[in-house]
Amino acid sequence: MDQYGTAPSPAEHPGIFRSEEMCLAQLYIQSEAAYGCVAELGELGLVQFRDLNPDISAFQRKYVKEVRRCDEMERKLRFLEREIKKDQVPMLDTGENPDVPQPREMIDLEATFEKLENELREVNQNEETLKKNFNELTELKHILRKTQTFFEEHEELQVEALLPLEVTRDLHAPDTPALIMQLRFVAGVIQRERLPAFERLLWRVCRGNVFLRQSDIDDVIQDAVTGESVNKTVFIIFFQGDQLKTKVKKICEGFRATLYPCPDTPQERREMSIGVMTRIEDLKTVLGQTQDHRHRVLVAASKNVRMWLTKVRKIKSIYHTLNLFNIDVTQKCLIAECWCPVNELERIKMSLKRGTEDSGSQVPSILHRMETSENPPTYHKTNKFTRGFQEIVDAYGMATYREINPAPYTMITFPFLFAVMFGDMGHGTVMLLAGLFFILKEKQLEAARIRDEIFNTFFNGRYVIFLMGAFSIYTGFIYNDIFSKSINLFGSSWRNTYGADFFQEHLTYEEQEKPFMLVPEKGFDSPGGPYPFGLDPVWNLAESNKLSFLNSMKMKASVILGITQMAFGLMLSLYNHRYFKSDLDIKWMFIPQALFLGCIFVYLCLQIIAKWLFFTAEANTVFGYDYPGSNCAPSLLIGLINMFMQKSRDKGFEGPTCYLNFWYPGQSFFEFIFLAVAICCVPVMLFAKPYLMWKEDQLRRGRGHAHLAPVELILLVVALVQVPLMLFAKPYLLWRRQKGYQPQIDQPGTSGGFQQSVRADMNGEDVEVVQHADEPPKENGASHGGGHGHGDGPLDMGDVMVYQAIHTIEFVLGCVSHTASYLRLWALSLAHAQLSDVLWTMVFRHAFGFDGYLGAFITYALFFVFFFLSVGILVLMEGLSAFLHALRLHWVEFQSKFYGGHGYPFAPFSFEKILQEEREAEEQA
Amino acid sequence: MGEFFFNIDHGYLEALIRGFKGGILTQSDYANLVQCETLEDLKLHIQSTDYGNFLANEPGAITVGVIDERLKEKLVTEFTHLRNNALEPLATFLDYITYAYMIDNIVLLITGTLHQRPIAELISKCHPLGSFEQMEAIHIASTPAELYNAVLVDTPLANYFVDCINEQDLDEMNVEIIRNTLYKAYIEDFYKFCENLGGKTAEVMCEILAFEADRRAIIITINSFDTELSKDDREKLYPRCGKLYPEGLVGLARADDYEQVKQVCEWYGDYKALFEGTGPNPGDKTLEDKFFEHEVKLNVHSYLHQFHFGVFYAFIKLKEQEMRNVIWIAECISQRHRSKIDNYIPIL
Repeated sequence: MDQYGTAPSPAEHPGIFRSEEMCLAQLYIQSEAAYGCVAELGELGLVQFRDLNPDISAFQRKYVKEVRRCDEMERKLRFLEREIKKDQVPMLDTGENPDVPQPREMIDLEATFEKLENELREVNQNEETLKKNFNELTELKHILRKTQTFFEEHEELQVEALLPLEVTRDLHAPDTPALIMQLRFVAGVIQRERLPAFERLLWRVCRGNVFLRQSDIDDVIQDAVTGESVNKTVFIIFFQGDQLKTKVKKICEGFRATLYPCPDTPQERREMSIGVMTRIEDLKTVLGQTQDHRHRVLVAASKNVRMWLTKVRKIKSIYHTLNLFNIDVTQKCLIAECWCPVNELERIKMSLKRGTEDSGSQVPSILHRMETSENPPTYHKTNKFTRGFQEIVDAYGMATYREINPAPYTMITFPFLFAVMFGDMGHGTVMLLAGLFFILKEKQLEAARIRDEIFNTFFNGRYVIFLMGAFSIYTGFIYNDIFSKSINLFGSSWRNTYGADFFQEHLTYEEQEKPFMLVPEKGFDSPGGPYPFGLDPVWNLAESNKLSFLNSMKMKASVILGITQMAFGLMLSLYNHRYFKSDLDIKWMFIPQALFLGCIFVYLCLQIIAKWLFFTAEANTVFGYDYPGSNCAPSLLIGLINMFMQKSRDKGFEGPTCYLNFWYPGQSFFEFIFLAVAICCVPVMLFAKPYLMWKEDQLRRGRGHAHLAPVELILLVVALVQVPLMLFAKPYLLWRRQKGYQPQIDQPGTSGGFQQSVRADMNGEDVEVVQHADEPPKENGASHGGGHGHGDGPLDMGDVMVYQAIHTIEFVLGCVSHTASYLRLWALSLAHAQLSDVLWTMVFRHAFGFDGYLGAFITYALFFVFFFLSVGILVLMEGLSAFLHALRLHWVEFQSKFYGGHGYPFAPFSFEKILQEEREAEEQA
Repeated sequence: MGEFFFNIDHGYLEALIRGFKGGILTQSDYANLVQCETLEDLKLHIQSTDYGNFLANEPGAITVGVIDERLKEKLVTEFTHLRNNALEPLATFLDYITYAYMIDNIVLLITGTLHQRPIAELISKCHPLGSFEQMEAIHIASTPAELYNAVLVDTPLANYFVDCINEQDLDEMNVEIIRNTLYKAYIEDFYKFCENLGGKTAEVMCEILAFEADRRAIIITINSFDTELSKDDREKLYPRCGKLYPEGLVGLARADDYEQVKQVCEWYGDYKALFEGTGPNPGDKTLEDKFFEHEVKLNVHSYLHQFHFGVFYAFIKLKEQEMRNVIWIAECISQRHRSKIDNYIPIL
């Protein structure tokens, strides 16, 4: 819900300063050409289609059959891909972009896939059966081998004990009378992890009357269906009696143990074993052949699979898009509605033409521009450099259609504000090199398709990082700070007044260690002038007051930078108001806001600059007052507070509190005026615009609906109680304006002011058409129309009113709090400098205390500690925090001055985007 | 106090489960589903819901069986993930949820074996949430005592089974009694467990379990009319943790027909409403459906509280209901029996 309505049409400000101008267009496409046209538009990627059948569910649309066919093809391709991956055949992925296949080609594709799938399934099935056989035989082989050892152990037992001998002999000689215990056995294979439970259950069910021997199979057997490796164990169970046999068999079945026939005599076992071995060999050859065949099929398919997938996805997206279209009654033509950039209309028309010609349709497709009152989507053209910054802005909120795009300004201010907090030539260089590396290796890194989220964050922000690094070097140069050290490029403007002999002659050893002060009047070497650029390196040696000097400088610099940026934001709001031709906003919103900001905050900035310029270390005359020295330089903070309090102060620089006095002639008068103007601006901002609009509306109402006079009277009375009602009136009027100017239709001649007529234009033809349709009943019952307006009014009122009040109050309070907020520039810069100082003195400096080889080694070792801590803590962590603060300064402090952010992004139908998304989804799965 | 530390152990899973719950089909999804002409339509629509592409890799025409299988598979995957990440006491709580499915599986297997069905066919019908290692060997048992000694003694259900050990041969009547006795013991145990957990869990779960207990008692009573089950035996099967206990259960034990059951239940505000509007007339809902609706309501309400385990139970139950709904709709579509397609239980 923006307060501007729709924008006027002339395309001034082209390029990146505002979003692209969009228009709603209607497409009439012959149904036979529709496929080709949409394909061309998809390649172009500049058109956002609207769903014209929102009420029809997905499966009732016209092209659902084709979509389903595509789904089926995709499934087959996925199946192929899985199989290819299973066999570890390399897939050819050139990333090429095949053209959209013709609709009739779809049948060929389908047939190809069908054939491939069937072939593969058949091969798989064969392989599965073969594998199963193979597994069974392998298991049998193991059984025979293991049982052999079991039985051999028994033979040994025969010698030792008599009873087992009887038992085993029974086993081998079934013809002995069955009076003696008849021991029988089953042998089989079971999964190893199931064995304990199996054994337990067996024991429990058979009450301990069975004897189980087991032995693990060392080879890993591959499951025929899933292809997973399973460990198995051979077991042999001895028992007696039929009842136990059924039980044992049931349990075996329950635990999915496979039982194999095992001959009783060693002779037979050996023969069987030999037979099994030969069969295994045979199977191996057959299996090998099958696998070769499968491999050949897959290798052949692997060359095309990615290309096919791209094709199928394109077809599918085309049919999805066609499903959004409306079908003409005659069934001959499809109607589509789309948003497209006005500048690209020609290219779109060309694409349509190409699409129509390619499909051999006789009737050309028609693109017809429509007028609409709807808010068009916001479309910013970006390139790889601007994208990062545009995303920073968009992350806060998509710009309202055609409002000023902060991104171009952000491109410079963002890295700059970052650098103010991160000012260090050394760290800046590290960052610059990192950014440069990403930029130079851009192509390779993009091709490598690294999926790491953190890497991608950095990689996508490579140009931001690069600029942040460059600006950090610049501010580092101004701060004269490289890894917390300074460089003396131009020669310091300060000289040591003490001299070497002073220390030797006059002071004891202990006293030499004490800090000495350079008296400004004497120590400053004025003929050379101040240090020409940046901070004088001598300050790095001033241990006790370096901080207080830097703090004062950085604090003032941040306030100036902050207020400059806010004032710039405010200027942008002027351009917004002017672009949307909102005269009222300029007069009653922008001007009071600018006055408010100017009278207090810009005045503060001017004071800061004046203080820098005129107040030196030496005594001189400032604005006609005798200035004794730096202890009388005015205190601006207390001065600002006193300005608000309107406290009377002495003039000139006299007395013990000379820094609190007025320091230029007429200061009390000017400050009174500034304060008065600023305070007056507040109610103007809050009430003036609503009041004027309300009044004008009353005027129009008074003429339009004369019988509403009593209401007007009451309203006038209420108007005396200004505050609540005026708050109430503006939102109400805003609502009126949104609804389109009905009263203006009633009374075309009486439209009060300039901005009303403009607004009627802005509402566009579409609205007007509606009004014309409504006109006759309205003329007859004008009072009814008015009543209707009253009835609906309060609905939006609360919302708009709260929004409006917040907006006004936010600006006033915001000016104060935002200025304070910019002090984070100073705070972070201070923290950064201190941290890097700590790292130097606590870590690296220790290395210099040693001489010789030891010193070299320690320097070598400590350098790495120092370097990695520098990169880890200072560049990465501090960099991140400075980045976040810069982000906040842009989103909150800067953009709140002018940026609406109520738009919605332009989402064109583009193959490139769709394929990209599909690929990402695929990679994530 | 439990609430303060809940998130340390269970916060992640609670967040997950609430996310899962957000994916439950809504009224508008159902409205779209019932419009489907074929199962392919159903598949197409269900792709746009949280189920996503769970049917996308099915070759050939899909059947209701395939849908059922995939639905279950999805639920099991989700549940296993929860169970694998759960800490005590939530882990035990989740195990308790599976016991109900284990009971169903055991009963299914025994009944199947009684009818001489091959075990492999029965296994495929078992609910995967309730499968356990010894499950497939269940058909070796011919008496409850054997069943206990051989199979169930190692499972968590052993304690519940103690009451049904006898040497009678397993027959259909017996199996039903076993099922109900197991359920009774299970619900009472679960109820006690939740009560011991205390806090919101107890508050929410006891409400749900009490209803579950009462529902079983009422259904048992209604189903027992005109069977050989004696009133004394019947009374032994009532779970004693519901709102009907003790007076209501005594009343139910004496009941001889549907009207008397209804009379007993009319003393209880919650259940009175359920009996109203049920009946044999066309257009009336069955009592069973009413119970399902009430269950859904209770389960959905559990999401209004935070820091408790009830949401996990509720999710499984809601998902189960949703699966029943989808299968119902799918069956109606595939059998071209569209007149009853609206008889699903919407999840609020």
